Amino acid sequence: MKQTEFIRRLDVSRLTAMLFPLLVLLVFGLVDAAQADVGMGNAQERITPIGEVRLQGQPPVEIAAKPAAIQEQEVELRAAPRPSRADYPDIGVSSRAIVWVLGQMHLFFGALVLAVPLFVLLIELVGVYTRDDRYDDMAHEFMKISLIGFSITAIFGGSLALALFLLYPDLMAYLMHVFGSQWLVYAGLFFFESFFLYVYYYGWNALRYGNLKWVHLTLGLLLNASGLTIMVMANSWATFMMAPSGVNEVGAVVGNIWEVMKGPLWNPINLHRFIANIAFGGAVVGAYAAFKFLSAKDPVKRAHYDWMGYTSNFIAILAFLPLPFAGYWLMAEIYAYSQQMGITAMGGILAWLFIVQAVLIGTILLAGNFYLWSGMSRTDGSERYKGLIKVIALVLVVCFLIWVTPHTLILSASEISLLGGSHHHILGPLGIMPAKNIAVNLMLIATFLSFQLYRRSDKVATVSWAPMGNALMIAVYIGAVVNIIFLGVYYGYFTNTVYKVGSSVAQVVTTLLVIVFGLVIDALMFKKAKVLPSHWGRIPDRAQYALFALPIAFTWLMALMGYVRSSVKTHWHVYTVMKDNSPDNFIPAIGYAGNMITLVTVLFLLCVLFMFWVANLSGSKQRKPETALAGGEA
Amino acid sequence: MSVLAKTLGFSLGLTLLFTLVTYLLPQIKGEAPVDKKVDLGSLTMESFIVLGDEIFHNKGTCTLCHQPAPLGRAPDIAGEDMVALANKHLADERYQGDAKNAEEYIRESLIHPGKYVVAGWGKKGSNDTESPMPGVDKPPIQLTPVEIDAVIAWLQAKDGGEVTVPLPAVEAAAEAASTATTGDSGKAPAPAATAEEALAKYACASCHAMDSNDALVGPGLVDIGSRLSKEQLRQSIVDPNAVVAEGFPPAMPLDFASRMTVSELEMIVNYLAEKK
Amino acid sequence: MEQQNNMGIAGRLAAVVIAIVIMLAFYYGLNHLVMGMQGLPLNLDLTPAG
Repeated sequence: MKQTEFIRRLDVSRLTAMLFPLLVLLVFGLVDAAQADVGMGNAQERITPIGEVRLQGQPPVEIAAKPAAIQEQEVELRAAPRPSRADYPDIGVSSRAIVWVLGQMHLFFGALVLAVPLFVLLIELVGVYTRDDRYDDMAHEFMKISLIGFSITAIFGGSLALALFLLYPDLMAYLMHVFGSQWLVYAGLFFFESFFLYVYYYGWNALRYGNLKWVHLTLGLLLNASGLTIMVMANSWATFMMAPSGVNEVGAVVGNIWEVMKGPLWNPINLHRFIANIAFGGAVVGAYAAFKFLSAKDPVKRAHYDWMGYTSNFIAILAFLPLPFAGYWLMAEIYAYSQQMGITAMGGILAWLFIVQAVLIGTILLAGNFYLWSGMSRTDGSERYKGLIKVIALVLVVCFLIWVTPHTLILSASEISLLGGSHHHILGPLGIMPAKNIAVNLMLIATFLSFQLYRRSDKVATVSWAPMGNALMIAVYIGAVVNIIFLGVYYGYFTNTVYKVGSSVAQVVTTLLVIVFGLVIDALMFKKAKVLPSHWGRIPDRAQYALFALPIAFTWLMALMGYVRSSVKTHWHVYTVMKDNSPDNFIPAIGYAGNMITLVTVLFLLCVLFMFWVANLSGSKQRKPETALAGGEA
Repeated sequence: MSVLAKTLGFSLGLTLLFTLVTYLLPQIKGEAPVDKKVDLGSLTMESFIVLGDEIFHNKGTCTLCHQPAPLGRAPDIAGEDMVALANKHLADERYQGDAKNAEEYIRESLIHPGKYVVAGWGKKGSNDTESPMPGVDKPPIQLTPVEIDAVIAWLQAKDGGEVTVPLPAVEAAAEAASTATTGDSGKAPAPAATAEEALAKYACASCHAMDSNDALVGPGLVDIGSRLSKEQLRQSIVDPNAVVAEGFPPAMPLDFASRMTVSELEMIVNYLAEKK
Repeated sequence: MEQQNNMGIAGRLAAVVIAIVIMLAFYYGLNHLVMGMQGLPLNLDLTPAG
């Protein structure tokens, strides 16, 4: 009886779960069909059969009809608008500043609410496999604290859209024209995302065990699928503006929507944002855990939030490690698309920003490492690694200093005379790219070493080949460091440019191999290892501040790089196709950008505080007033 | 102190620290290039001469070759009195052109540089009968008549000579001078579609003979494909000073890497590699 | 930890040195492979070929 009831319920939920992808497909199909029906091309075809109409007595000017393709093009060709400065509404405040703030806030929260469900789903899956309820509870808590982030994202998204239509009407009209019905699909996906989100969150306890858990996991998967689709669609607008495709040189649409979306920078941006979102989301929820840890007095609670903070940091740093490589790919594609754009970003006016970037990434790596080192006090087996940590710290600091040494910058004449040449005579060789490549790769390797030491600190290997394994691991690290320095110095300074660039790929491969080796060797070596007790909650309070430094640096970094990404278009709305003639069509000075970035970071901080506060509100309950209680009893 | 105050204070402090870093760096704005509209009402001869000066040094790319010895690959225009020199050349018996005065002579040598080649500066092997200079009214320099007038005005004025060029008239007018203020981030001209177009766009033939091995400013390229590999060709264009052909000055422009699109570079490299 | 004590200091040092030699050879091959895949062949002494 109960069994059949269960099966029936299961079937219904399963059916809905299966029907939704179908529905998505159906909507896509319908939109496609609708587009085909009203499309200009079809109208043209319907008219053609009438045949030629000629004036009597006039010689046929053109007997052969133009090929259909050309006719179609002529009908559809509509060049990008060329607004003059007067066409931009002036509301007394810089339009760019308004759109900047709203866009960045939308992006922050968008990134957060895309990332959190992603690792929540993974943690939930881990919970299913380990049968450890703690994972499930933690995943649920992550979801809880980011829930109203979805509303905040929507609020900022709506405001951003309004602001754009108000302040940049010509640009938006053009983009609407280019992307056409894609906007409807985009809007439609929000319904799906909201649906999955609320069912996923509120159905957590209803669908907690057995087969129903799999229904719940499927819902989570669909939530992520709709979220990611939304992201890649929005990315296509940004990349279209940077590197337009599917349009001709005056901006008239000549390709279909897929050709418009699939620009040369689309996939690099997709990957870069996907990875960065995870790191960002992990860092933000880590701050929540740190805050709860610091405010809690109860050792059980402290242990729980310590573990939550550790997991968040783990997610953030792990996602952060491959990020430079995704960035490298993006930059390479930008250079391949347009040398000029690449030089504007890396060697021109924006190049100074990469010094700020180095400061931020240095902060992130140092904070992440510091947190790992502090966390070793949780276990008794970590004494072994104390000495190594000092070496890692030294490597990190030295590499960091090399990294922030400026080099490839366009200098003014007075700056050149101040430096006594375009390169500093002592620091010059440290400022060039090979030196920086060495520094970055060594920093990543050092961070991975911290990570690996931390993972090892509560275990003792019991396999017989452990000394061999350790010797191999040491050799992997030493060999990699030697190889990276060799590649950088030898090819970077003593051969030509082509080899210099080629060798940086070998450096990256070496770094990645260290990570792969480390993971594989440790997985095998500590398979049946003796596990020493871990004392969650036994960590100094100051370590928690690293968990605040991470999200602040991430937020700042994201805003900074977003500004660079948008600025490489220089004075174009849509690069090479639609000029920006607004009063704000210049690249602002770094200090101004810094102010804007700080403004959005602080705003984001306040919004996140609000988000956490609301999440905690649902857990607190007002006690029934004493007087009423007494009155009732009397 | 409460936990909230401490953590908020820490976070804000860190944010301000990052902001401070941006204040320590040079504060440069990247202005968008402006199409310079010449306002005839307020245009004075003085500002017209200044315009000519700017065109000579920027848009005209004249200083790529016209520099004082030993850097120069053409007469040092900025360092000599051009009016006096023009009159001297007009009086030379070798002069074959139609110019009657210094202004006409300068304009003629800008548009048809081959009419009179200064002794010693002709294409190598032409015995000073052919000029290596491209006409400034043709791509890639493409100066408008108003801009050419401005350059002449500057050339006449810089050594205290009398300016005989008239200020631009209404019909020749306004539109003209789009002197990009930032040469780097300026406009992106349409990329070339074929190798020949690309070679013309970057005026390779003004220094290299395409169908002979004659040495002009640079080596002839008729059989360059048999001498250099594709990689070497690419390097010679992108980083010309890495290897300079023996017996030639390191004279090739260094900015092709930033001006050419990738496909243009590839077309040129492939085209040259075929020349065997 | 007990296992590590099975081998003497000298033995462990030898293992590490041997492992380093192996890994350096491995990275040497890797450099050839990665540069070769990019069309930038190397000579045996790792100078650019051709």
